Amino acid sequence: MEERRRRIAILSILLASLFVLIAGRVVLLALIDGSRLQILAHSEHTEKVEVSAPRGPIVDRNGIILALSAPARSLYARPRTVWSKNRREQLVQLARILGIDSDKLSARLKSKANFIWLARQVDAKTAWAVDQLGLAGIGSVNEFKRFYPEGSLAAAVIGMAGTDSQGLSGVEMRYDRAIRGNPLSLEIERDALGRFVLDSPEVLREARPGARVVLTLDSRLQALVETEMRQRVRYYRAKRGTAIVLDPFTGEILAMATVGADDSEPSDRLHNPAVQDVFEPGSTIKPLLAAIALDSRVVTPQSRIFCENGAWRLGAATIHDHGAHQWLTLEEIIARSSNIGAAKIALALGPKRVFDGLRAFGLGHPTGVDLPGEAFGILRQLQIAQRVELANEGFGQGLAVTPLQLVVAYGAIANGGLLLRPFVVREIYDPLGRRIFRAKPQIVRRVISPTTAHQVARLLRAVVEDPAGTGRLASIPNIAIAGKTGTAQMVNPVTHAYYQDRLVASFVGIAPADQPRLVVLVMLEDVGHGQFGGLVAAPAFKTIVASALDRLGLPVGQPSVTEASYQVADLAPFGLLLNSANKSSALAGSSNIRNFHDGKPDFVSSLEGWCVPYFAGLSLRHALQLAHRLNLELDVSGDGYVVAQSPAPGSPIPAFRRIKIVLAGSVEGSPLHNRFSFDRARADADRTISRGFLP
Amino acid sequence: MPIDRRILYHFDWRVFVLTALLGSIGLLAVISASYRASVHNSLHPLVVRQLVWLCAGLVLMLSAAFFDYRSLGSYAYALYCVGLLIQALVLVGGHARGGARRWLNLGFIALEPSELTKLVLIIVLAHFLREKPPTGGLKLRHLIAPTIFTLPPVFLIASEPDLGSALLLMLVFATMVFAAGINTRTLLAIILTAALAAPVAWHYLKPYQRQRIVSFLNPQSDPLGAGYHVIQSEIAVGSGGPWGKGFLKGTQGRLNFLPEQTTDFIFAVFAEEFGFAGSMSLLTIYAILISHGLWIARQARDRFGALLALGIVATIFWQVTINIGMATGILPVVGITLPLVSYGGSSLIVMMLELGLLISVNIRRFIF
Repeated sequence: MEERRRRIAILSILLASLFVLIAGRVVLLALIDGSRLQILAHSEHTEKVEVSAPRGPIVDRNGIILALSAPARSLYARPRTVWSKNRREQLVQLARILGIDSDKLSARLKSKANFIWLARQVDAKTAWAVDQLGLAGIGSVNEFKRFYPEGSLAAAVIGMAGTDSQGLSGVEMRYDRAIRGNPLSLEIERDALGRFVLDSPEVLREARPGARVVLTLDSRLQALVETEMRQRVRYYRAKRGTAIVLDPFTGEILAMATVGADDSEPSDRLHNPAVQDVFEPGSTIKPLLAAIALDSRVVTPQSRIFCENGAWRLGAATIHDHGAHQWLTLEEIIARSSNIGAAKIALALGPKRVFDGLRAFGLGHPTGVDLPGEAFGILRQLQIAQRVELANEGFGQGLAVTPLQLVVAYGAIANGGLLLRPFVVREIYDPLGRRIFRAKPQIVRRVISPTTAHQVARLLRAVVEDPAGTGRLASIPNIAIAGKTGTAQMVNPVTHAYYQDRLVASFVGIAPADQPRLVVLVMLEDVGHGQFGGLVAAPAFKTIVASALDRLGLPVGQPSVTEASYQVADLAPFGLLLNSANKSSALAGSSNIRNFHDGKPDFVSSLEGWCVPYFAGLSLRHALQLAHRLNLELDVSGDGYVVAQSPAPGSPIPAFRRIKIVLAGSVEGSPLHNRFSFDRARADADRTISRGFLP
Repeated sequence: MPIDRRILYHFDWRVFVLTALLGSIGLLAVISASYRASVHNSLHPLVVRQLVWLCAGLVLMLSAAFFDYRSLGSYAYALYCVGLLIQALVLVGGHARGGARRWLNLGFIALEPSELTKLVLIIVLAHFLREKPPTGGLKLRHLIAPTIFTLPPVFLIASEPDLGSALLLMLVFATMVFAAGINTRTLLAIILTAALAAPVAWHYLKPYQRQRIVSFLNPQSDPLGAGYHVIQSEIAVGSGGPWGKGFLKGTQGRLNFLPEQTTDFIFAVFAEEFGFAGSMSLLTIYAILISHGLWIARQARDRFGALLALGIVATIFWQVTINIGMATGILPVVGITLPLVSYGGSSLIVMMLELGLLISVNIRRFIF
């Protein structure tokens, strides 16, 4: 008995020590390693999934929607399930609904992936038909599809967003963070085989729709500019035409368009030549040079320069003028665009002052516009000995600018000598309608004195007004125009020699010259022999300026308006965007710069009842609610979200208080389906405009 | 046999209560392990079956408690023969699951004879070693006969293959021989020989068994392969933290990260949901049961009873130690269940039968 007790005691100790060892291990795991293993456990069975929020709309300065997101269904497949659970005929049916070859569908379903997209952002009808098939392993999720209700209007400025809601170019890219909003962030459990357990996904962060971005563009002016440029490009068989309309006192870009020769080509949303491409400015550089010369007192407006009877040998090179001139004043040199005169001014200034001066005008450096991919341009620092090169720069050869750089430089002449940073986004509103960003005019530097600016502006009037001026075709009755023509030879990219018969014709001008409101650049690339800037670009400039001034409430055919009447015009329903023309002393050195940002953020609320509200972007229900509130009748066509309306927002309430709205984005899918009715709606809207309700 | 009033008077409530407690914990753990969030409001059939086994086990346990263990001695060899026969039947007509033939399909129950064989071996060894050992303890020659009894079941079970149960039989054998009184020098000699024989045995292991040992020594060597289960089990135990994630709130088991979550790795499921506090309570209950079992062995009125009790206690101890050691990554992965907690009819019923016999040994101290 004693022996047994002894042995059991030994055994007890042995067993107890083993047990303590095990318990110690549990202590180690649960108490000491616990937090680390908790994180490990969490990370291996959960996955963060993000679901895109709708991108915010992009609207023009009047609130017309240029880009919006509407719900769309995207179809996915889980290939393994699809093959194991479905019959072949069902897949053939699926292929028919999706409108693709059934062999092609099979090939895609052969994928080894767990999950593949079958079709992104299809219309509701297709999604419904696929759902009706009830195939195992095929499903659909809600996504948001990007629509550009105005089609190709301002395509290069707006840019585009990809299928996964990412901004790829233009404003869509530059303001992607604001427009994209916050995706819905979910934490989903995953089992050991990586399959999602969709019982109760934990919402880490709620989705927040993207912000509404208000552009400086005026879409009606933009449309007009595009139409005009398209016609000019076609008429002169140009390769491409670019036009920019800038407010010289704020830096706001009111219109910016590049149109190609081929209408059938889809508009290029990825490339914006107005800021991304460079060209040799040609004679349009001369006013900048004159400004530098005047500002540094190398010349005076009364200076006369001998122009060598039309041909001047300078070393090995000979510089030619279009006419044989002898002694010309500075005004005549600009008006007749004498190359020899300009070359002599450049030589008189010397390389340093030319470089510094042009640099001050913003050449050779990005303007800082809020668009992606801006080019620097080419501006060289020449040596004293490089006389020919310097002379060439005098008439715009041997350097390159972007259209925007040139227009901004002319802006400095228009506004009294200040270089401003141009911009295309005016305001940004969060989804609750609170303003989160407001662009302010930014002065980059003073380039020339106000006196010089006025002197140069006067020189530029001569280009249009002088009977011998090159820009006579730009003149508009009763409106003073200051501008400069430019005709540059294109460079053969292979030989680096100039083409004799391929020209870039341009016109840059300020209107009205005595009360500058706009700086407009028109440029036609690759026009033929004899198609000078004054002949080709000036008429386009004229059309654009006439319409633009009309848009701004400066109807053509009336005497130039005073500052006071211009304020009144701004308060007209159309000019809401400019609804405060109060003078502001915010910008030192220029009492002319308007504080244009005191406008009410919400178009509808500020004028509710007085004019047609915005319906764009609303669902049918909300559109009807709004109409009911304002005692309006709606003619509805289409399904989904409002993409077009007639009369346009801001128009006076029409007779019988009837408003037509066109919806898209849901059942009918893309607005392309509604193209017809959409176009009709726009035509109606245009008719309303032309009937005229401007004061 | 008429029921003696003294049986009721001396009935070992402690073992009974501990058993019921462990069985209940087991039921909770099985509910957790078989829980799927998608199937709400209905008990998994596994849980229902476990409950049925538990009730049946209680009945058997009480019957065994009233049964006089001493008469077992006379049936020892007969039981042993029947046990071996059934065990051998498995190899011929056994039901295979997961690559091993371990079950006999009896229609209503898939019997796992190795559980029964454990009990039969304990009885036959207790019967064989009941004689008082010579002075100086059991020498090698005294061990020949017990070894001959032990080897056939070990080989039969190992060839299923069920290495874990085979190992368990050897450990129970060793514990009983030690308790019966082995000569110290003989013991040392055996330990030395075993140490030397280990590399030889390595040769005879199947590849999967070798891999288990390798991955036990270094689970990170193949975290997605052989070491995966151990790592996942450690994560489950550790992520429970001090207080656990709460009943049915565990993720590692529910999302299938744990293998054999209702049987071999049930401890991990339990530890994840009830945390360190729960694991320690469970270990404490086992510790109380085992120490009480050892006390019964010490107090038993005869050597047969003492050895029988000891064999039963050894079975429980080794199963708990190996199972939890495996779930916490300090012992290699072998298929051994956690007594009274793991799902499984055979192991549950046989274990409760054994605990009934333990009670019987305790009661008979007072009944002559």
